[in-house]
Amino acid sequence: MSDPALRFDHVTFTYPEGARPALADVDLQIAEGAFVLAVGPTGAGKSTFLRSTNGLVPQFTGGRFRGRVHVAGRDTTEHPPRALADVVAFVPQDASASFVLDRVEDELAYGMENLGVAPAHMRRRVEEMLDLLDIEPLRTRSVRTLSGGEQQRVAIAAALTAGPRILVLDEPTSQLDPQGAEDVIAALQRLVHDHGATVLVAEHRLDRVAGAVDVALGFDRGSVRMGDPAEVIRRLAIGPPVARLGRLVGWDPVPLTVRDARALAQTLPMRIVADAPAAGETRISVRGLSAEHDGVPALRRIDLRIGGGEIVALMGRNGAGKTTLLRSIVGVHRPSAGDVLVDGRAPQPGVDVGLCPQEPESILFADTVADEVRSTLQARELPDDPDTILIELGIDDLASRHPRDLSAGQRLLVAAAAIAAARAPVLLLDEPTRGIDPDAKERLTRFLRSHAADGGVAVFATHDVELAAAVATRVVMLAGGEVIADGDPATVLGDSRVFAPQMTRVFGPGWLTPEQVAEAMA
Amino acid sequence: MNIHPAAWIAWATCAGIVAFSTTNPFYLALVIAIAWFVYAACHVPGPTARSFRVFLIAGLAAMAIRTALVFFGTVDANNVAFAAMEGMRLATILVVFGTFNAVTDPFGVVRMAPRRFHEPALAAALALSIAPRTIASAQRVREAQTLRGLRTTGLRSLPALAIPILETGMEDAVTLAESMDARGHGHGTRSRYRPQPWNRRSILCTGAALTAAGAFSAAAFTGVGGLHPSTFPLLWPEVSAGLLAAAGLLAVPGLSRSRGAP
Repeated sequence: MSDPALRFDHVTFTYPEGARPALADVDLQIAEGAFVLAVGPTGAGKSTFLRSTNGLVPQFTGGRFRGRVHVAGRDTTEHPPRALADVVAFVPQDASASFVLDRVEDELAYGMENLGVAPAHMRRRVEEMLDLLDIEPLRTRSVRTLSGGEQQRVAIAAALTAGPRILVLDEPTSQLDPQGAEDVIAALQRLVHDHGATVLVAEHRLDRVAGAVDVALGFDRGSVRMGDPAEVIRRLAIGPPVARLGRLVGWDPVPLTVRDARALAQTLPMRIVADAPAAGETRISVRGLSAEHDGVPALRRIDLRIGGGEIVALMGRNGAGKTTLLRSIVGVHRPSAGDVLVDGRAPQPGVDVGLCPQEPESILFADTVADEVRSTLQARELPDDPDTILIELGIDDLASRHPRDLSAGQRLLVAAAAIAAARAPVLLLDEPTRGIDPDAKERLTRFLRSHAADGGVAVFATHDVELAAAVATRVVMLAGGEVIADGDPATVLGDSRVFAPQMTRVFGPGWLTPEQVAEAMA
Repeated sequence: MNIHPAAWIAWATCAGIVAFSTTNPFYLALVIAIAWFVYAACHVPGPTARSFRVFLIAGLAAMAIRTALVFFGTVDANNVAFAAMEGMRLATILVVFGTFNAVTDPFGVVRMAPRRFHEPALAAALALSIAPRTIASAQRVREAQTLRGLRTTGLRSLPALAIPILETGMEDAVTLAESMDARGHGHGTRSRYRPQPWNRRSILCTGAALTAAGAFSAAAFTGVGGLHPSTFPLLWPEVSAGLLAAAGLLAVPGLSRSRGAP
């Protein structure tokens, strides 16, 4: 039998300032040609594990490293990452920060140039990858002008051109719309099935990949359990909505895919959607709003009325105009026509409307979480009471921590607290759940519900269908800068092939969350 | 037909020589106008394009500061004119650099560096690419902090802007360094993907720029053409038609424009 693609021999690793090991005695082998999923809560060691496959850990991070990692037979402590570039390719979570060159085509060739691949061969590989990832039309574009989904596919293609034996990806679909995510997963599957590649992928949104992989690595505080995906996911008590339903109603084994769940499911009558609770008085009214982004029309004559108590999910492809709409409502993007009123008048940015930006990091600067909230309170001349909002978001235990030391999910909650502390009645969030773990998501949704229950409005842009199904009272779907659907989640999501949540796919229209289904089956 | 990065280097260097060799406001104004024209005709859309404006503003600021310094000494028309012309020369050089930044992909420049100079050239290109990224990041941070009600002007508000910008910048830099290493940078013999050929347009641009620089250097050497108008006494600058025409040659890259073709 040939060498395994990847072998970890009793690897224990602690970051320079880490109190406990980030990887604890990891001992496993990954066979050539396997499609492997790494799952587990944030901070459990997934990223550390992925980055140790090509020696970035410990060679870039420092820290104490024991044990051995072999990739395609080469020891990662004896070879620098660049000497492993021909066998392992790594796509980091933030693909846009990993681009070295500017033009898509050059970016694809970069890795091969470094390896000294012959020009004729290089040319052929680039053309192949452009087709395989379906990015041919982008070849002369600047990588900085691409949408998130396009950037991700370019990063994958760039990683693959060097012809590595193993491809490692850290949450490749976290920034993508549902179709973009399907495309990426499908491309990975094609690589494994048709081209014999070995793929190792970390992912939070298991609804996409759980059914596609052969093996799963379950991470829990640095230790890893390898096994059948269903088995691993069941142990970690996480999983896609079908798995959550399986646990709620006691199916064994828990299903991982919609298809598995259908086989187990009894038929349920079509769920009668109760009328959504009547929205309160109109708080946001968007009238004939058009806006441009870099001279290109981004919104076309949008009309929307949103009332107190509503939680609105704004959905649509990358580039559909979600961010521009949020920025227009908050008053920082000047419309080319039409206007936005909040409570009957032009909103005072930040006072009537708060916006949590796509990168929560871009507002964090204080030394502690409490001070971060305090700086908002001081600026707004509100009473010095950071604890209330921290308790509302369920992060009062983090009050004295440094925001930069927290996980992505915790940082989002801190940013949300710093913004919500101003007590603007309208709260907007731009893709709040990308890259965050279920626990942080749960805290955020609880907060949004209580904000709405107090008569406030929450509007969030998201690609996360299941989040929209679980928390939104209304879904507004955008395409090409226009509203193409607007209504309660059961109708809007249930009516879509791309955006339907898993429960709808299994049980038909009207069913949105595992909790609803479990209740009906009980 | 795109202009070869080396031709752009030649253009920028020559335009810089022209600007450096004179304090005559008419020549300098012409070079600024040409740099603007070339920028408008040839810039690559995207964040680097924005850096032109930043260099333009920096140039104007440099000129204003240079002029304002006079007011600490003897204020008379002669001194002010002298300082303003000196400042304008500095501004012109900055604007030329801004154009160079906006019309070239810094990495395209690196890719043609000889292998021996690859590392320093790459470091330089990364440094160049940091400017536009930082500008974009600064805009995002400022907007988000304003929405929070934080002041974004004055010294006391500096941490609220600088810390997120610097930290994000550091994280991006580390990600980029890791990505380059993981993709085999500096591993061994490099090959080159579709090296850009020298084309007629590149040769034309280089030739025109060299002629312009040559004419101004010759004028500087022989002291003709009114390169340095007298400010003691203050006289109306004289202008040579020949040198105006020579400076005009710097506009060649902007004349035969083409877009999109790789």
